[in-house]
Parts: sequence; C-alpha cells; structure tokens
Amino acid sequence: MKRRDFLGGVGAVGTASVLSAPSLLTTAGRAMAQGNDIPVGLLFSLTGAVAVVESTLHNAALMAIEEINAAGGVHGRKLRPIIEDPASDPATYADRARRLMIRDKCVSVFGSYTSSSRQAVLPVTEQRKNLYWYPTLYEGRECSRNVMYGGAVPNQQQDVLVPWLVENFGPRFFMIGNNYVYPKEENNYCKSLLSELGGEVVSEEYVPMGHSDFSSVINRIRSEKPDVIFATVVGDSDVAFARQYHAAELDPEKMPVFSLTRSEVEVKAIGGEAAAGHFSSAPYFMGHKSPENEKFVEAYKSRYGGDQVTHFVSEAAYFQVYQFKAALEKLDPANITPEAIRDAAVGLKLKAPQGEILIDENLHTHLWPKIGQWQSNGQAEVLIQSEERVAPKPYAAYEGQTCTGEGLVKA
Amino acid sequence: MTSKFHYDLIALVIFAIVIAFGVPALMNYDGFELNTFARYLALAIASMALALSWGTAGLLNLGQAATFGMGSYAMAMHLKLRASDGLPDFMGWNNVSELPLIWVPFESLAFTLLAGLLIPAFIGGLTAVFMFRARIAGVFVAIITLAFLVAFQLLVINQQGMTGGQNGLTGLAQLSLPGWTVDPYSTGFYYLVAGCLTVALAIGVYLTHSKFGLILRAIREDADRTRFFGYNVATYQTAIFCLSAALAGWAGMLYTMVLEFASPTYMGVSFSLAIVIWCAVGGRESVIAAALGAIIVNMLEGRLSDVFVEGWHLMLGVIFVLVVMFMPRGIYGVITETAKRLHHPKRRHRKTDLQSSSTKQLETGQES
Repeated sequence: MKRRDFLGGVGAVGTASVLSAPSLLTTAGRAMAQGNDIPVGLLFSLTGAVAVVESTLHNAALMAIEEINAAGGVHGRKLRPIIEDPASDPATYADRARRLMIRDKCVSVFGSYTSSSRQAVLPVTEQRKNLYWYPTLYEGRECSRNVMYGGAVPNQQQDVLVPWLVENFGPRFFMIGNNYVYPKEENNYCKSLLSELGGEVVSEEYVPMGHSDFSSVINRIRSEKPDVIFATVVGDSDVAFARQYHAAELDPEKMPVFSLTRSEVEVKAIGGEAAAGHFSSAPYFMGHKSPENEKFVEAYKSRYGGDQVTHFVSEAAYFQVYQFKAALEKLDPANITPEAIRDAAVGLKLKAPQGEILIDENLHTHLWPKIGQWQSNGQAEVLIQSEERVAPKPYAAYEGQTCTGEGLVKA
Repeated sequence: MTSKFHYDLIALVIFAIVIAFGVPALMNYDGFELNTFARYLALAIASMALALSWGTAGLLNLGQAATFGMGSYAMAMHLKLRASDGLPDFMGWNNVSELPLIWVPFESLAFTLLAGLLIPAFIGGLTAVFMFRARIAGVFVAIITLAFLVAFQLLVINQQGMTGGQNGLTGLAQLSLPGWTVDPYSTGFYYLVAGCLTVALAIGVYLTHSKFGLILRAIREDADRTRFFGYNVATYQTAIFCLSAALAGWAGMLYTMVLEFASPTYMGVSFSLAIVIWCAVGGRESVIAAALGAIIVNMLEGRLSDVFVEGWHLMLGVIFVLVVMFMPRGIYGVITETAKRLHHPKRRHRKTDLQSSSTKQLETGQES
C-alpha cells in the first residue's frame, strides 16, 4: 500500500478495521511467519514535525530494498521491510524500535533524522546488540558499536570547507545556528580550525528550534559585515532565515551564507531565487555527476514523481541499504546476526551516488566532501570536490579521544 | 456514598488482580510485551492524577506534563550520574566544567525519590497558591497551566548545560536498589510499576470518598456556596493540585525507567493534551476509569499503528471525536448509566447532576 492511498480510502479503512479487529487483540501482528525472508526495520516518521524530511529517507530506503528484492534478494532470500511510523516523537521512537528489534526480530533497523530520535533508540539497540543504520549527518562524539553512521561528522563537513573559505572569502566568521547540540558542536570544531588558520569569530548566535524571526540577526550581520556567514540553522528555521536574508536584500555576492545543513529539500521550500548564490557543504548534491547518481535520481523521480528531490541524507539512506546487502552477502546465510553483519560491513567499499565510500572500523563512513553553490533552479552546482575520500573522526574536536574498532579510546 | 465506595473498592481489587495476574499471563511473561505494558501503566498514573484534580475538583490542569517531566528528569539525573564517572558527558560538550549545584544531591537515591515527588508537588503548589488565592477558575486555570507548561519546557530546553537540551538525558544506568538492579524488561520491573499504580489508585479512591473528596466535589459544583459554608476553598484546591502533581512526578520517574531516557517532549503540549484525552476517554470522575482510559488508548494506539501503519493517526482522531460526541463521560459514564438502567429498568434515561453541570460548563466555557 502506498502512503498516500489511505486518504482516498478512509471508508475502506473503516471497514478493514472492523474486519481485522481480532488482529488488534493478538500480539502477533503482521510481522510473523513468511518463512525465509530477512526482516529489516524501517523507522522513519511518516507523520509529525520531521515527516517532510524523514518520508524522503523512508522512500529512498524502501526503494533500495525493493530494487534488491527485484534483483533476486540476498542469497536467494528477500528482504522484508517492516515499516513503523514513530510520528516524530522520541518516546514513540523508543517504543517502535523495541517492537522492531525485540518482537519482530529485525536483524537491522534503518531510521531517523534527528539526534534526539537516535538517542531514544540507542538504549534498546545496545542492550539487544542490534544494528541501527543512521543516515544523517550529525555532531559526532558518539562511538556506539551498534550504530552504522552513514552521514558526515564535523571533520568531513569542514576540513575542506573552512580553509577554502578563509582563503577565498576572508577570516571573519559570523556563526548562526539553532540552539542545540549539533550547531554548537560544529561551531566548536570550526573555531578550532579557525584558530589554526588565523581566522576569527565576530559573533556566535543561537536561536531556538523552529525560530522564524531573523530580523535582529540580519541587522547584526549588516553592521558586522563578516566575510563568511557560517550557518547551522535547520529545518523551518533555515527556510525562514534564507527568505528573510533575501528579503533584506543582502547580496550573496558580497556576503554569502555557507550552510552545513541546507539541502535540496530546504532549498525547495526556500525557493530557488532566494537560495541562489549561497553555498552548502555536503558529501552529496543531487546535481553531482556520476553514473550511480544518474541512476539513483532517475529511479527516485520515476517512482515518487518528477518534482521530488534527492539530497545528502536520502542518498545515505539509500546507499546504507546496499551496504547492508553487501555485508549480508559476505555472511553464511545460516548465521545472520546484527553483530555478524556489523563485522562484515567494516572495510566494505561501495560505489554510492557520491563516489566510492568505505565503512571505517569505527562504523562511520569515509565520504567525499563537496561544496555546492545554489542556482535559481533549486539545484546546486558542485564547485569543489575533495580530491580524496575523507575519513570520519567523530572526536576530532577532542584531543586525546579517538573512536576506534574497540569503541572510544582515551589517551 | 458508601455503596459507591464499595463498588470502587471492588473495581480496584479486580483491576489490581487483572494487572497483577491476568496481563502477565496473557503476555506469557514476555519481556518485550511486559515492558510495553509497563509503559502504559506508568502513563495510567499520570492520567489518574489528572482525574483527581480535573474530575474531582473541576480543575483542568493542562500543565500535567510539566510535573510529569520534573519527576522524569529527577530520576534521569540520578541514573545519569550513576552511568558517568565524574561529569555527565553532555556537560562537557556544553563547556560546563563543574557539576552544577542542583545536580549534586541527585547522587543519592533517597533524595531522588523524594525530589521526584516533592519538587513537582512544590512547583504545582506554588502555581496553585497564586491561582486559587486569586480565585481563578474554569478555563483560566487551563490557560495558566498551559502557559506554565510551555514556559517550563522552553526553560529546560534552553538550559542545555544542565538538562541536555533538545536531546534530553540519555545514556542512563539501570536503577540499582539495594540487592536489585532494575532491568526494564524483567517481570520484577513490571510488578514494580503495577504495584505503584495500584497504590496510587488506592490513594485516589480513598481520597475521592473521604470528606476531603466530598468538599472538593462541592467546590467543583459551586465554589461560592462552599466558601459560604466556611471552607477555605483555595486551600483545598491547592492541596489536590499538589497531590496530583506529586503523582504525576511519580509516573514520570517510572516512565524514565521504562524508556531509559528523559526527553523534553515529555513536557510538551501534545503530551499534556494526550493525558487529558486518556482521562476523558476513561472517565474523569473515577480515578480507576481514568487509569483504564490511559491503558486502553495507549494499547489501541500501539495495536492500530501495528496493523495500519498508514492511517493510525487519523483513526485515533476519529475515535476521540466519536468518544467526545457519544460518550461525554467516557467509559465510566457508559458503565454507570448501564448499571443504573439495569437497576431501574422502568425509569427513563436521566442525566445525572454532574453531567448536566459539566455540559453547562462546556457550553458557557466557564465554571461558577
């Protein structure tokens, strides 16, 4: 059943709910039986505040699963996606993750976008020694042996970007972000890079999540005249920020915004004209040119509609399923456990849409950082592509701490 | 009065037997199912706590989640300290170099347990004193408590160095009581929560049938008249508010143990409104019914989302609308009406005083 079909069939749902009433009382649910399939969980919010982004991750992961099944599955076994909707609520994430990992015995769960939802899933994942595939860029400083991190950590977003900024735009940075752990951590790392490069932070500001009035911030930007606006504003806030920045007639030629979080999804909401001229740093852009990406974008569009976009998180949601498949192929079909999958995944190379990626022994992913400049058609032109694959260092900002194959090591 | 008390006692005993023996047997003592059900039971305490202030005293507290969250964070702070050697990790990330003073006493389990009850009671009492001294009533209580909730949640999110901000408190240890490390998937833990709920319900049933409860009901029906009888209305209202807050804090402590983290969403508006819905579905006049409401709604939510991933939210919404339209007094109302009709088959269906007065409240939007 497709996600949007239900609106058309409310009456049918009513009837169905009466017919399937007995199943409401049993604990079996829809997960049991079906013999030889490999159960995998999909835990992306289809409703609620983050559904706009997470439903694209859900779509990308589901597409990968169905592509794999269409090509014959793994060892002749099909992947059976078990879909849950945690409704953008951390407590519901924890509840649904339990269901997937304990009751439905999924060997892996793919899910979530926000850090808070990952944190909610973590206790049960670690306790049950399951494997959680998390596709989102995040603040680093986590070293779980039960999470596969597919997104960029601060050093992968900034090691290429910040020196390039100082060289080409100047050393005076204005930092603006939402008030939570991700922006603070990115800014901490940026400051440590700047101190080596001789840059300075003229202002560091945090607005509450969902904040949408940036007039005072924009006034300060106007009076400070920084060389670089270093933005870690997320979601709706970022859309509001970009629009007001444009409405205030600040020229991206003179004062461009460099965002770590703005992807094709946000740009679609901002509108191409207001976003044009500003920059983002990410390992993937929809406009990246590679045969793998052309295939990915085309398949995604033909499946979900020509106006849909792919972005740096949905790309990871997609390639992580293929990483999972490649790990399964290395295993003895009779002996598939989450930990065996994890061990088989380490060192695995895969041609992803962004380039050939590699899973580090610390379970983060080696990625290809890029810098893109947004165009008025809502796409980014990739200006800079890192010459080499960048290794993930989730504790880069913390001297003496490294995330290794044995977990966190403190010197 | 006394016969009603007997009915409630019987209901309480049946309820206790079902959750103590029936439910675990039905679930085959399966760790996952028991853990899920323990979550519902913890929420049931929050719901019955609201029934005390809303159903008995007519004070609709939309800030119930705030006191729930206080209890939840108190427990989480203790467990976080147990899990970390030295400073909790998130403080380091927020450039906090020393354990904040407010965290220090949470090293002690005894203090934590007390704080989880008394801090919510104190804060609840403080808001209550200001509200009820000023004779604020009806819809304004709801507005003030809602505003308090929103402000409190913002405060918690903004004090990142102390509260973990948006992510909340995660990476907690398991509670270790003398001789027992509480595993949230164990049968023992289930009985801990079930026991807590039963005790909370017993307190609730006793209170509603005591003289104290009678006066509260009098206040609900007509505060002025009660005042003229010489009762200090504000004191009674404050007392029930404190008690309800303490019970919510208790529920919060258990909830943290079930889910193994504390999140600012526990003090969100939507969670607070959810408690009101559970209470309304079960029936706010009876604490047992309110607890049952929480369990039923949450079970329904769990099962519906299991069977209909696509439309469960919509279906829940429709169910709530139907309940409000056709069962304004919740499940409890249906049961009492049916019982009445069985006892007096000839008498035509008549609304009780309570219902007519509460309908009046809904229509005029305020209480006397």
